[in-house]
Amino acid sequence: MRLSVPQAILAVALAASLSACTSSSSSSSSAASSGPSGGTIKIGVDLPVSGADASIGMPTQNGAVLAVEEANRNGFAGGKFKLDTSLLDDAVQGKHDPAAGAQNVKTFISDSAVLAMVGPFNSNVAKSEIPLTNDAGLAQISPSNTNDGLTIGDDAKKLRTAHPDVNTYFRVCTRDAKQGAALAQVAADRLKLKKVFVIDDNETYGKGLADVFDTSFRQLGGTVLGHEHITANQVDFKALLTKIKAQGPDAVFFGGNTSTGGGLIRRQMADVGLGKTPFLGGDGISDDEFEKQAGDSANGSYMTVASPDATKLPSAKAFVDAYKARFKTDVGPYSANAYTAAKIEIAAFEKAIADAGGKMPTRGDVLKYIAATKEYDSPIGKVGFDANGDTTSPVLSLLNVQGGKKVVIDVIQLKS
Amino acid sequence: MHFDPTLFAQQLINGLSLGGIYALIALGYTMVYGIIELINFAHGDVYTLGTFFSLAILTLLGVTGVVTGPMLIVVVAVTILGAMILCGLTGVIIERLAYRRLRNAPKLAPLITAIGMSFILENLMLYWKGPSPIPFPAVIPNPEFTLGAVTIQAKQVMVILLAIVLMVVLQAFVYNTKLGKAMRATAQDKDAAQLMGININTTIALTFLIGSALAGAAGFVSGVYYGSTWFFNGFGAGLKAFTAAVLGGIGNLAGAMLGGFLIGLIEAMTTQFIGDQWSNVVVFSVLVIVLIFRPSGLLGEALPNKV
Repeated sequence: MRLSVPQAILAVALAASLSACTSSSSSSSSAASSGPSGGTIKIGVDLPVSGADASIGMPTQNGAVLAVEEANRNGFAGGKFKLDTSLLDDAVQGKHDPAAGAQNVKTFISDSAVLAMVGPFNSNVAKSEIPLTNDAGLAQISPSNTNDGLTIGDDAKKLRTAHPDVNTYFRVCTRDAKQGAALAQVAADRLKLKKVFVIDDNETYGKGLADVFDTSFRQLGGTVLGHEHITANQVDFKALLTKIKAQGPDAVFFGGNTSTGGGLIRRQMADVGLGKTPFLGGDGISDDEFEKQAGDSANGSYMTVASPDATKLPSAKAFVDAYKARFKTDVGPYSANAYTAAKIEIAAFEKAIADAGGKMPTRGDVLKYIAATKEYDSPIGKVGFDANGDTTSPVLSLLNVQGGKKVVIDVIQLKS
Repeated sequence: MHFDPTLFAQQLINGLSLGGIYALIALGYTMVYGIIELINFAHGDVYTLGTFFSLAILTLLGVTGVVTGPMLIVVVAVTILGAMILCGLTGVIIERLAYRRLRNAPKLAPLITAIGMSFILENLMLYWKGPSPIPFPAVIPNPEFTLGAVTIQAKQVMVILLAIVLMVVLQAFVYNTKLGKAMRATAQDKDAAQLMGININTTIALTFLIGSALAGAAGFVSGVYYGSTWFFNGFGAGLKAFTAAVLGGIGNLAGAMLGGFLIGLIEAMTTQFIGDQWSNVVVFSVLVIVLIFRPSGLLGEALPNKV
C-alpha cells in the first residue's frame, strides 16, 4: 500500500496521540553513591502527577522522593544498599484512573527491587490496587486515601481476595467516617448551619464522604435538603444549582474532587445567586486548583485535609524547610504524609535488612515490620497502624478560603 | 414535590441556554453529515479549540475581565470572528488531510479517521494548555433581568439568540445563495453535481469551513457562559450535540437546532424533577424512543437519492 504524505503524517500523529494516552513513567535516580555492595532497593510510588490531579499529586510525590534522597545521604542501611524510587503516574488524560493504577502496581510487582510502595492518591484507584498487592504480599502505604471501605468491614475483606487474613494496605491519613463526621460537626456546631444540600461525584471517595456527612449531619439535628449525584465530565451545573437555590440552603456540601466538579460547581453557584452561600467539602477540594477554577467565588468555602497541616506543626518544621530547599515550592497538603509513608517503609527496610543478616530482605519481612509500626516519630506526629491498617492518631485540618487563599483555621484531633 | 411555576420557568431558561450551545455545535455536525454522510467526531474538539482560540485572542487583546462601552463590541467582534476563522481553517485542513482521500473509501474508514482526528486534537490541546480547566474572562457585562420572579442573565440571552440567529443565517445561505445551491446539489448526488460544473472539492471544503466556524462561535460563547474551558470539553458536548443532530433529523439545519434546545431542556428538567445523575439516561432514552417511531429524527425526512 502506498501512503501519501498527508496519510503518513496522520498515521504518525495518531500513534503519538495513542501513546500519549498511556501513563508515562520515569525513574528518579538520586546521585550515584559509589556502588553499594548489597544492591538497590526501590520504593514504588504511584500517584496522579499529570493533569488536573497534578497540582495535588506532584507535591505528594515530592514528599516521598525527599525521604528517599535523605535516607541515601544519611547512609541508608549502613551504606550497603542504595535506595531508589520508581515513579509512576496513574492519571490518564489528566485524571486519576483505576486501570492505570492497577497497571502500575503490576509493574512494581514484577520489579523484584521494589519492596514496598507509596500510593495511591485516590480511593477508587486503591480499590483496583489492593487485590494485587494483597496477592503479591507487597506493602503499600497511602498518603491520602480516605474511603472507609478500603480498610473497614466487608468491603475491605472483598479486596483481600488472595490472602483474606493478610493486610498489605496501610494509610497515614484519616478515613472518611471520621472526616465526614468531623465536617458535619463543624457545619452544625462551628458554622451553625441548619439546612444543607449534599452533592457528590458518584466516585468511591466522593460518595463515601458525602454519605457519612449526610448521616452525621442529620444525627446532629441538621436538615439535609437533598442529596444528588453528578455525572463524570459534567460541566453544566446550573440546573442542579437552580434547584438547590429554590430550597434555600444554608450551605452546599460537595463530596468529590476539584477535578470531578468541585471547582466548577463553586464557580457556577455565583451564577445562580448562591455566591454568598458557604461551600463545604473534604480533602478532595483542598488543592490549589480549586481556587483557580472557582475564581472569585472560591471565598467562603470550607474544606478539611485528612492530616495535620504540616506548615503549622513544630514537628514538621525540619521537613517543611528541607522540602522548600529541595523543590523551591511550598509543601502540598499531602507532602508530609507521603514523606512519612516513605520514612516508615525505609525504617522497615533497615530492620528487615538487619534480620536478613545484611542481605536483601523479602517483601514479607518488610510487610511484617510496616504492620508492626507503633508510635513512629514523624513530621505529622506519632504514627502507628491498627490491625486494619488505619492510622492510630487521626487528625484533621480545617481550612477556609479567604481573599482567594486557603487559611488553616483549626486542627482537629480525633479519637482513633 | 409541589410544582413551582417560577422554578419551572427558571429551569426553562437554564435548559435553553445549555441547548443553545448544543445547537450551535449540532449545526456543524448536521451540515457535514448532510453533504458527505460523515459523522465528524472531531467536530466537538473543534468546538473546544474554539474556546482555546478565543482565549488566545483575548489574551493578545489584553482582556482579562469585563469590557464596557464601545470597546465591548470591538472585542467581541474580533474574538468571535477570529475564533470562527481559525476554527474554519482547522476544519478545512482536517478535511483536506484526513477525509478527502477517504471520500470514496468504505464508510467505516473515514469514521475511524474522524475518531483519530478527535484524539489528535484533544492531545494537541492537552499539550497546548495543560490538562486542568482554564479560567475564561467574563468579557461581557452580565446584568440580570427579572421577569416576575424569574431571573435571566444577559449571557443566557446571548447564547439563545446567537443559536437562533446563526441557524437562520445558515438556512438563508443554504437555500438562497448559489454556493448554498451547490452544497445542496453535492448532497443529493456528487457525480451529477460535478457533471453540472460544480467543484465538489471546493463545495465540501466550504461546508467544513462554515460548520467549523460555527463551532468556533459556539466555543467563544461557551467560554463566556461557563467562565472556564478544558481540553476534554468537546467529548461530552460533542456527544450531546451529535445526539441533538440525530434527534432533530441529521442533515436538517432546523432539526439540529430543535434537537439542541430539546436536549438542553430535557437535561434541565430531569435534574429538577428526577435527579442530576439521571439526565444522561433520560436524554438517551428519549433519543431511542424518538428513533423507534421516527427513524430519521423529528424533522428529518427520508431524502431522495441518498446513498
